[in-house]
Amino acid sequence: MNRLEELRGPMPSHPHDARAIAALAANPGCARRALMDAAGVDKDRVARHLGFPAPFGQSQFAITRGNVFEALVKENGCAELLRLLRELLGLPIAQVGYQDVESVGSHLRHSHTRALIDRAAREDDGTAVFYDHPLFSLEIAGHTSYLEPDVVAFQIGGRFRIVEIKSFGLIDGQAEPEKVAAAARQAAVYVLALRTLMADLGHDPERVSHDVVLVCPENFANRPAAALVDVRKQLAVLKRQLARMTRVDRLLEGLPRDLTFDLVPDPDGVPTRPADELAGALRQVPARYAPDCLSTCDMCMFCRDEARCDGSTDLLGRQIRDQLGGVSRMTEALGLAEGTLEPAEGQEEIARLLRLADRLREEALN
Amino acid sequence: MSESLDALERRIAELRAEVRRAVKAKENSLARSLRGDLRRAEKAWDEAITAEEPPPKLREPEASLLPIREQVHQALALLGVPTSAKLIVAVNDAFFSRELRGSQLTSLRRDEERSFRSDPYARPYYLCAALTDRLSPARGLLADSSWAPELRVLGPLSPRVDFLTSTMRIAEHLTRLAEPPMGALRLLSRMAQNIPGAVEGFAPADPATAIRAAGAELEVHRAADTAQRTEVAARVARQLPDVERLFGAATMSTLRGAC
Repeated sequence: MNRLEELRGPMPSHPHDARAIAALAANPGCARRALMDAAGVDKDRVARHLGFPAPFGQSQFAITRGNVFEALVKENGCAELLRLLRELLGLPIAQVGYQDVESVGSHLRHSHTRALIDRAAREDDGTAVFYDHPLFSLEIAGHTSYLEPDVVAFQIGGRFRIVEIKSFGLIDGQAEPEKVAAAARQAAVYVLALRTLMADLGHDPERVSHDVVLVCPENFANRPAAALVDVRKQLAVLKRQLARMTRVDRLLEGLPRDLTFDLVPDPDGVPTRPADELAGALRQVPARYAPDCLSTCDMCMFCRDEARCDGSTDLLGRQIRDQLGGVSRMTEALGLAEGTLEPAEGQEEIARLLRLADRLREEALN
Repeated sequence: MSESLDALERRIAELRAEVRRAVKAKENSLARSLRGDLRRAEKAWDEAITAEEPPPKLREPEASLLPIREQVHQALALLGVPTSAKLIVAVNDAFFSRELRGSQLTSLRRDEERSFRSDPYARPYYLCAALTDRLSPARGLLADSSWAPELRVLGPLSPRVDFLTSTMRIAEHLTRLAEPPMGALRLLSRMAQNIPGAVEGFAPADPATAIRAAGAELEVHRAADTAQRTEVAARVARQLPDVERLFGAATMSTLRGAC
């Protein structure tokens, strides 16, 4: 792990929140990202220093709206959520227990969550249904990250369920698939963290359901509605990603000994390293840029710029890049299509297709 | 009021017609007496219209003369259970004045604690904290120091029990009012929607039905909740000094005592 600390430089390791961990599953093949995350490099800071700040981050309006909606769902001992779970899962009338984990003080939240979950898993009865503000931990490449799910619900039959509260709208029973997917990825992180905790406490991790409860406002009103979302696929991707991060040694092997992403901060933490030098260091680790990086990764603008300068086919999206087979440059693809470039060995098939496409285009245009 | 105005206008029109008829028929004495009636009717109309003008402002701004502390106490007295700032504001808004804001409540508990520490029991009541089963102050819930200790502590079932109780108290208060304010009915409807059988869909809640439904669910939880609360209250009495009985123990010392 020493090599990773050299990569990061003297800054403390950047903690991962659930959003960041969920985003890991979005682009599994990117070595640059895997390495930076494993080393705990603050990607946002690096991107800013390079002059490519990521365009995302929620607006204050969206954050406030999200918080207000979450407060509405949870107020009066999760009264709204209780109604939803009674409708959705048939939660019996008697099961209404509520524990606010945050009441113990922030420094004890993690151990208190652990104690409460242990008790709930043991006693199975008469314990709380809702755990508000729980705090889980998850080991990521040797660092402990702390995660705060919205609520954990303990359902009869001894199964725990993660509740994810999101403020995007559900209209006529439909929500934007991308947003649901992002929520599912995030909820999967919590499911994994809770399963790890259960296993740690000596309980069956399968008691944490892979169906999470997604709560959204319905039909332009602020009235919450709930649905079950199966996150098994997201869990599988996430587990693979995390396992890959712990095997980061393989990625490190091929790197030059003196490579570092250190920003060389001065005593006030202001980066002093020349941006060009840092960019040069980053370019030694291959990235796998795809347009969806724009919604998940802090480094997206830098990688996009790099892909554009190289004329890389990555810019066109995963699907087209995969169809182009081994052709990684746009100039190369165009050359093959126009016949100005001789196909290398193994490229004959893709060259034939590109020429066909070029001919069809010409005919369509004339 | 407007109905009598309409009647007066009809009467004035009739009188004018009669005056015209009397003048035409040269019945001077009748015309004179009719003119007298007409003048009186017009005068009455003038009085009626000015009386109906802007009615003295009844409830709109109605700046409450009570200090914030008293307003919160009033809302808590109505609800009778530990309550979040948000619900206190909503209840105050629905039944009393409309000038309490959530932000005004943030430092209240701390001020009360300071006052109690410097001069214990000087006030008839203190706005204090509800205590969790770890004897720490529950986040965001306010209580009244004059309540029984069992009411001021929380078990896992208590948030639900308190929610049902406050819904019932709001509904009971509504039944006592001759003209229930709309805001209060809306508040009740919103709360009743989360209680099985208390309200049909989005229809406004009927206080009597809401009381019955909340009471029915309350019966399910009451025994267990009372037992849990009595146990926590006993621990509070045994382990905590006066200040902490009202405002909760700091977390570290709680841990030493409770575990």
